This record gives sequence, structure tokens and C-alpha cells, in this order.
Amino acid sequence: MTTRVLVLEDDIGLRTSLRLVLEDDDYEVEEAGDAETALRLVEERDIEIMLVDLMLGGVDGFTFIRRARPLTDAPIVVISARDGVQDIVSALEAGADDYVSKPFDVTEVQARLRALLRRPALAQAASSPDQQPDAPHAGEVFVLDSGAGPLVFDRAAAHLRRGEREIHLTMTEYKLLTVLSENAGRVLSRAALLDHVWDRGFFGDERIVDVHVRRLRKKLELDPAEPRTLVTVRGLGYRLDAR
Amino acid sequence: MRPGLRASVTATFALGALLLSVALSVGTYVSARQLLVEQRERTALRQAYADAALVRDGLATAGTSVSEALGAVAPPAGASMHVYRRGQWFSSTLDQSGEALTAGVRPTVDEGSASLAWTDRTDPHAVVVGIPLPSVDAQYFEIAVADELQATLHTLALALAVGAALTTLAGAALGRTASGRLLSPLREVSRAATDISAGDLHRRLAGSDDPDLSVLVDSFNHMVDDLHDRIERDARFAADVSHELRTPLTTLTTSLALLQRARDLSPQSQRAVGLMADELARFRRALEDLLALGRLEAGIDESALSPTAVDDLVRHALATGGAEGLDVRSDGSGAQVLVDRPQMVRALVNLVRNAELHGGGLASVRTEVRGDHVDITVRDTGPGVPPDERERIFERFARAGGTKVGTGSGLGLSIVAETVRRHGGTVRCAGADGGGAEFVVRLPLSRPEVDR
Repeated sequence: MTTRVLVLEDDIGLRTSLRLVLEDDDYEVEEAGDAETALRLVEERDIEIMLVDLMLGGVDGFTFIRRARPLTDAPIVVISARDGVQDIVSALEAGADDYVSKPFDVTEVQARLRALLRRPALAQAASSPDQQPDAPHAGEVFVLDSGAGPLVFDRAAAHLRRGEREIHLTMTEYKLLTVLSENAGRVLSRAALLDHVWDRGFFGDERIVDVHVRRLRKKLELDPAEPRTLVTVRGLGYRLDAR
Repeated sequence: MRPGLRASVTATFALGALLLSVALSVGTYVSARQLLVEQRERTALRQAYADAALVRDGLATAGTSVSEALGAVAPPAGASMHVYRRGQWFSSTLDQSGEALTAGVRPTVDEGSASLAWTDRTDPHAVVVGIPLPSVDAQYFEIAVADELQATLHTLALALAVGAALTTLAGAALGRTASGRLLSPLREVSRAATDISAGDLHRRLAGSDDPDLSVLVDSFNHMVDDLHDRIERDARFAADVSHELRTPLTTLTTSLALLQRARDLSPQSQRAVGLMADELARFRRALEDLLALGRLEAGIDESALSPTAVDDLVRHALATGGAEGLDVRSDGSGAQVLVDRPQMVRALVNLVRNAELHGGGLASVRTEVRGDHVDITVRDTGPGVPPDERERIFERFARAGGTKVGTGSGLGLSIVAETVRRHGGTVRCAGADGGGAEFVVRLPLSRPEVDR
């Protein structure tokens, strides 16, 4: 089974070399040199993951990420020569999942892609629903109280529901919530989350975790500024409190 | 050594005052002396005429001798009267020097005219008046010693000299004060220049209302602005160039990665690909170092600082630098520092790589808490760094011994220095016991209550 990857990069040299390497890795590569073409490809093709440069002629990468996010949950890896803190945070807040700054080692890009494409163990278990009926966390359903009625996180089905309404999660948000709920009531350090969700090493960029926690809170919490479910433990990390 | 500006100004003022007061004093003395002398001569002449008339009248009386005639006249104090009659000298005093003292006036008197002259045969000098008395066939001479004139002139000269000396001193004092006031803005300029050369490029001179000074202040500030702009432009240029190289370099490394995977390359091609890979890796390190320096120069982002265990930093740096096997001697473990982790790790990795690349291999790493800071000491087994190069090696593109060795970018240690400095710490190079070099990074400890 090949994975369809979209490469949005306006430099034709880098775009082509990435295509060659990714095709060698058995990806199916779609190329775009500008954001409009890329958005059309996202709509028309079943894109599973994206490599996106931020500095493009015309519509820039930030805008592309914001416009693509409602169309797809596919993970977005930013590849950019801009590595200022503000640029990284903006890209993540727009909806990117991870970033690699230029000049990068292509093996690092490959590792990021693999990490983001890796499905959490529980989601794989969804294909065999009868498995482990007495799992330690009372099955794959997890109930959260955010102050606005119970939130039901069905890990196996990858569903987050408040009443009848389904709340949409991106791949990375889903993985983050899975890891947090598996360790409900326990504090997880940023480094641990980075390791579990992003496969990043010892001192990765922990801002990725912070931005994703913020994004997740917008979906879980009644008041994201005063979180009651996904709380910050100062100096240590984050903790998800079950009802 | 040339005298300083202040000394020169003071000396010039003093000299000016001296010349002026000497000229004035001499002028005053000369005219006063002339006036006093003329006055004295007039007095002497008047007195002599009066006395001569009395002597003539005395001699005109028959039977009166010259001595009697002289005795009948009371000469003024300090004066002596002399009469020459028929080849014989008569005098009102016992002193018989009349002939010698009157030598200056006698020729004129012999011709029948009155005459006045000064003689220096007495002390003080005397004014000599000669008057012919043809009616009694005699010549009358009066010699008046000008002692009061001499005393007056002495006093005047002394007063003028003292005045000149005081004026000179006053001139020097004025010069010193004036130059001090003139130089105080210069001292301010020099302090500002010192601050600026120490790296404070935002230092400017305060504006001045003084039209003469504002020119200096404006041009000085303008110069610093220009300097600041130029330095920023240079830094931006380096950053821009590095930035522009990122994408093409990534294309090269990505394409090369593909070539390295190819199995059907000839051995020669494989070697060539290997060479390219090595050089590109080196190029990439240099570019990353340049970018890191650019980021450091842009300043530390406070939000990127987080409390981090020193031992974790060191362990991570050793792992990244390819020396994870090394034992770290830790004294005061659990010590935390407030750092931008990726930046500080990069700095420590640079020290580790420096030891491997230039220092003959890493010998030991030690962390030690001392007071409110922690020392991270990295030792190598190399030849050490000569004392006179221990500061220079932190400069950009400086290499110990001036030799170009290894594959470093030449920026590694300057990144260390800049990173540590931006974190409020210091780094120094010393000689380790038993040879080798020792680099000590000193960082302030973070207070435990600091939260991220």
C-alpha cells in the first residue's frame, strides 16, 4: 500500500529531489509549486500527508495550511528556511503538525513522515472490535468532563463526541489525546509527549506540544483559557483528568 | 611626550598674561620714572637758582669770603653746595669732591650757561646743577642726592613685578579653568566612545544647547548611527546569504542521499559520491553555524528559556557530539540553569567537537556548582592552547596556531562564546593539568522557584 504525499515547494530543484527520494521510499508523490495548485490537489486527490514550504510566491504556506485544514486531517510537515520561533508557532497554530527547518537531512524528513503516519496501537485495534474486552481503561471509550456536558472519546473508532455532535480531530490531535487518555490522571512531560506522539528525541522543540495542547483545548474545553480537563502542571507538563 | 591640550592652554594663558603684564609694567615704570626724574630736576634747578642767588648776593657784599657766603645759606637736606672762584674750590661740606662731581656740567658753565646733569659717582645718583655767577666772577654748583627718587623707583619696580607675577598666575588659573570647561565635553565624548567600542551601540551623546558643542554632538551621534547601520547591514548580509543558501543546499543533500542509495555505482563513482557527501556535510555545518550566529546576534528569545538540569544538557551534548560513553563527573547534581536548550546544547556540542577535532580527543567533562553558578569543564588530551591565544580562539575563523586543520567551520568556539554570553555566563580557555586544553563554561544557576 503506497502513501500519497503532497510536496508543496516553489523551488523546483528541491521539489524534484524530494520527489525522487520519496518515490524511492515507495510514496506516491504529488507536486505543487504554488498554494492554489496544492489546494486543488488536496480537494481532488486523497492526500495522506503533506510537506509544505512556508515561503511561496503568491499565497504563502501559512494561508495554505489554514485553508487546507478544514479539507483534510492529513498531517502537515512544514519544511522551511524560516525557523524563527514566531514562524514555527504560527505554522503550528495554523494547523501544521510538525516542522523541519532547512537545511535538513532528508532522513529526518523521512523519519517525521513515518512518525506522523504511524497509527496509534488502539486505532489499529479498531479493526478487531472484540479484542480485549476488559482492557484497563474500561474499553476504548473514555469520558471527559469539560463543564459542558460529557465528552466521549472513543479511541477505537477515533471519535470524539459531545452528545450527538462529533468533534473533529486531526491525526496528531487524536494521537495526542490517545496518549493523554491512556495516562489519564498522570502528568506527562512535554518531552514524553514529544517522544510518544512525534517520535522526537531528547530535546525536541517542545513548543510543538504546547501549540497542539492549545489546539486540543479549543475542542475539549468550555473555556480554553481556563482548562478543566487538559490541565497544565507548572514546570512538569500536562495532565488529562477523566471524570 | 607632548604636553596635553590642557597643559598647553594653561601655559598659553600664563604666557599671555606674563607678556601683557610685563609690557604694562615696563611701560608704567619707564613713564613714571621719566616723570619723577623731570620733577626732581625741576626741583633741583629751582632750589639751585634760589641758593645761587643768595651766594651771589653774599659774594657781592665787599669783604665777604666765599666760605662765609656759603655758610650763610642753608642747603636743603642731602644737597651740597660748591663754589669755584679764581681756580679755587669751596664747599659747604667737608667733602672736597666738588671738582670731580661737577665735571659733567662745568664745560657749559665755563661758556656762561647754566647746566644740569646726573652723576653716578654718588650712591644714590645725584643731580648736579651748575650756574655761572659772572657778576662775582664765580661758578655755583649744587649737588642734590636723589635718594627719595631712588626709593620711590625701587618701590614702584617691586610693586609692578609683584603685580606682573600675580597676573601671570591668574592667567594660568584662568587658562586651566577655561580649558577644563572646554575639555569636559571631550571627556564625555571619550566615555561614550569607550562604551560604544565595548559593544553598546545604542549609546549616544545627550543633545547640547551650545551651538559650538552641538556640532560635535551631532556629528558624533551621526557617526555612531552610521556605524550601527553598517554593522547591522553586514550582519544582515551574512544572514541573508546564509538564508538564500538553505534551499539549494537542501536540494544538494537530498539528491546526494538518493545517489548514496544507488547500488549500481562503480567504485570510482562511489568514492566521488562519498567525497561529495563529506564536503556537503562540512558545508552544511558551516551554514548552520552561520545561521546560529545570526540567531544569536538577533538576541535571546526570553520565551525560549526553560529551566534545565545541567547534567541533562551535558549528557545530551555528549550524545550529539558522539561521545556518550564518557563519564561525567558531577559535583552538585540536580543543578538547574535557565537556558534556550537547543542553543546551549549546540554550544556544548561545539566544545565536545572542538576537543575531538583540535584537542586530540575529549579527556573529561565535569560539572561543579560553585555559589550561584555552575562550571562545566571540558578537557582534552591535545597539545593545549598557548596562553597568548586563549582569548583569540573565541574569535570568528580564528584557529589555534594559525593553522587550518580539521573540518570545522571556524565558528564553533565563537558560537560557544556568544551563546554563553547571551545567557549571562562566561567561557574561558585554560591549560589543564598534565597538558591539554581546558574550557570552562560558567552559567548562572536558575532560582528553583522559576517556572516556565
